[in-house]
Amino acid sequence: MFRYALKRILTFIPMLIAISLLSFVISINAPGDPVERLSKAAGNEGSAEQQSGASKKIKQELRKKLGLDLPIFYLSITDLASSDTLYKVQDKYHKENLEALTHQSGNWEAVSNYYHSLVSLQKAHQKVDAKAIVAKDSTLSLNLVNEINNQFGFEIGSLLETSDKEIVALKFEKMNSLLTGNAFLNKLEVPLTNVTNARDNIFSNATKWKTYIPAISWYGGKNQYHLWLVGNGKERKGLLRGDFGISYIDSQPIQSKIWQKVGISFSLSLISIFLAYLISIPIGIYSAYKKDSVADKGMSLVLFVLYSMPSFFVATLLLLQFANPDNLSWFPVSGIQDPTIFDPNWSLWMKLKHRMPFLVLPIITYTYGSFAFLSRIMRVGMIDIVSQDYIRTARAKGLGEGKVILKHALRNSLLPVITVFASIFPMAIGGSIIIEVIFSIPGMGVEVYNAILNYDYPMIITVFTLSGFLTMVGYLVADLLYAVVDPRISYK
Amino acid sequence: MQNTNENFSFKKYAWAQFKKNKIALVSLYLLLVLVIIAVFAPYIANDRPLYAEYEGNTLYPAFASETRTDSIYNAEGAFVQVLQYDITDWRQLELTSVVWAPIPYSPGSMDRYNRDYAAPSGEQRFKNSDGEIINIPSKFRHKLGTDGIGRDLASGLIHGTRISLMVGLVSMGIASLIGIILGALAGFFGDTKLKMPRIKYWLTLFGVFMGFFYGFGQRKYVLSQAFSESIGDGMMAMLVSIGVVIGITILFRILSKPLQFGKLKEEVNVPIDTFVSRGIELLNSIPRLLLIITITAVVERSIWIVMIIIGVTGWTRIARFTRAEFLRIRSLEFVQAAESLGFSSARTIFKHALPNALAPVFVSIAFGIASAILIESGLSFLGIGVPDDIVTWGSLLNLGRQNLEAWWLIIYPGMAIFITITIYNMIAEASRDALDPRLKS
Repeated sequence: MFRYALKRILTFIPMLIAISLLSFVISINAPGDPVERLSKAAGNEGSAEQQSGASKKIKQELRKKLGLDLPIFYLSITDLASSDTLYKVQDKYHKENLEALTHQSGNWEAVSNYYHSLVSLQKAHQKVDAKAIVAKDSTLSLNLVNEINNQFGFEIGSLLETSDKEIVALKFEKMNSLLTGNAFLNKLEVPLTNVTNARDNIFSNATKWKTYIPAISWYGGKNQYHLWLVGNGKERKGLLRGDFGISYIDSQPIQSKIWQKVGISFSLSLISIFLAYLISIPIGIYSAYKKDSVADKGMSLVLFVLYSMPSFFVATLLLLQFANPDNLSWFPVSGIQDPTIFDPNWSLWMKLKHRMPFLVLPIITYTYGSFAFLSRIMRVGMIDIVSQDYIRTARAKGLGEGKVILKHALRNSLLPVITVFASIFPMAIGGSIIIEVIFSIPGMGVEVYNAILNYDYPMIITVFTLSGFLTMVGYLVADLLYAVVDPRISYK
Repeated sequence: MQNTNENFSFKKYAWAQFKKNKIALVSLYLLLVLVIIAVFAPYIANDRPLYAEYEGNTLYPAFASETRTDSIYNAEGAFVQVLQYDITDWRQLELTSVVWAPIPYSPGSMDRYNRDYAAPSGEQRFKNSDGEIINIPSKFRHKLGTDGIGRDLASGLIHGTRISLMVGLVSMGIASLIGIILGALAGFFGDTKLKMPRIKYWLTLFGVFMGFFYGFGQRKYVLSQAFSESIGDGMMAMLVSIGVVIGITILFRILSKPLQFGKLKEEVNVPIDTFVSRGIELLNSIPRLLLIITITAVVERSIWIVMIIIGVTGWTRIARFTRAEFLRIRSLEFVQAAESLGFSSARTIFKHALPNALAPVFVSIAFGIASAILIESGLSFLGIGVPDDIVTWGSLLNLGRQNLEAWWLIIYPGMAIFITITIYNMIAEASRDALDPRLKS
């Protein structure tokens, strides 16, 4: 038994790593730039001029704090042409563009030169002072100069982000025509020629063959995955030590946001599973007792039909019937408390009494989902067990039917209890998204739903990883419990 | 009676068993009806008429392509007007004779005179060809009501049938392809039966790696370009990539032939069963709905991508059943006979063993379709993954949830989902009983 447990735990570790890798892969493929999202959440969004100053510094710090200036993984599989220092480029879109350019030409050095020349063009452009130009040449209006200047800036910005040859050619054409048409931009002439030359150099010195040879570069422990998983011992503690990152919505640490909500989802699933057992066990017993009677057959058909009924349809029907002024307005439509009356200082009993009407419909729906499923399992399990030899023996030695069923059969048919019970842990983290959304219960399900609608990837990934971990733990506990409860099962 | 034994065919026997279950038979006919509705949806519910006489011209608007544009000349040859089929309001034209589709509305077309949840039996209005607003003629009545922006519910339901059937078909097609192949390999070879020379094993692994490098790493930009053009182009490019992976792997296997000497020639076991079983365990340990929702959050919103994700995450059950069947079959005489006759493993697996392993797989596919439809309607009920402009049963039900007074938006789409899922579950259960009495519950 001990050896089995040890072996089971050992196979458990690679699975955990696999789950963490899977969620990490999903998280780095999430669209958008996390730094932009976070600084937007913090209200640092401003015009281009403002960004160049203080907020740019904040962004750099954020980037560093999130570890985005590190390579993604311990190693990367690329081709010979790709650079192993590309990860140092800060902007996500610039990075993607440089990668595409390197793929087109196979010459990283030329691409890097091109990028640097573009960046210095951008710097030269930022130095252009529209007011000084207007002061020098009074024939120009400030608006016109600003507009042309902004156009030029826009072209540079898009050159930094696109690798499509036709678009790039168009952008160059546009910039050249802007330059020749407007003498006041003459300071940009030299940097622009540099850029054009660098661009030509990429393709005249292309080494496409390099992209066909795979190469592996090794980065060691300083990488994003490592930081995300185990932290760096300083401000980042890592997933394994309970640091799940920062929510994009309000820049709050995720771990501080979720615990209360986990409690709500957990208690709901606990109550509903308890109720589901309370109903399905008697059904199973009855079916075994009166096997093949009309009542049993009817019940099995009803259970089958209920099993096919989607829980969101049931929930909406319940709302339509019992929380609708047109029909019966017995229960409130949504939430778990009435904020105008609810007082956090109430005693537990008062709180429960107040919340009761809010919880009736959600608990019915919650229970319904597992009840139809469980009853079917219980029924099949009981019927299967009743036809076994030891039950016949019990009957043959003269025990009453009630004692046979309740004492001998029931105990063994309760084994599936363990399996289903193991699944409530992940339920608490993931919540039942659909049901919580329908009844607006402020649990984890609604939290995940809002995270998805607001593209709050750290939250989505946290919930995903945690429920994966907890399912694995649930399976482990269930397997071990089986071995403890049922002496017939031996793991050798 | 003597004849039955000679002509005994398992298919006939199973069909006879299936027919005994009357509810399942009815379900099968209902499924047929659903398929017919799905196939002919554009001719059942369409706001363009099936047949129309206009100024002496005979037109078949519902059968023409949506983007068609006709210049109409009257009998004297004088120009009347240009008809652009998809934006013309055919009800306003003076048609001399016309045959409308049974439901004269398209799922997306908004009837601006019946906005704000027109009830099925309530007052509905209509603008006739003279431009007067009148009480609706029974032909144009929204028999199942409308939603908040005047879209016809019956038409939405008819076209939703198409989507729900497609979801089942596409996602379970993908799932069974993956599940059957992996399950068959794992069950047939186990951990010890697949042996190959060490060098061949290594080079195969290396070939797979190189295949992915050239097929996906190198073609990254080609693939994303193709997917941004259209899903069809993307799938084609994907197939090419998979072909590249397979081709390069085979190439490396051939390359290993001349290298087989000394220690490199020693046979090693390929623990394929362990790989597949661990994969199944991993996928099963993640709550499926959460996995699907997480993936849909990072990819583009498209009904096709939803179908693909449901398929790619739904193969484990099929693989488990196939594996179990193959474990049983591989020790039976006919498989051993095929092997001793020197048939290749591929031929033994796919030609001899697989047809005998399909019964339980078929059952789990049918159950899988039911759960795929359930997941898709759940997702579109939440408005996740499925684009807003696609009308599905789930999205209709969601409209009803947001406005409980519109009971028709709850009852009808909900019943449609419920009935479809029940049909598939019924068929699955009855065919399980018919195909494999041992599994009967």
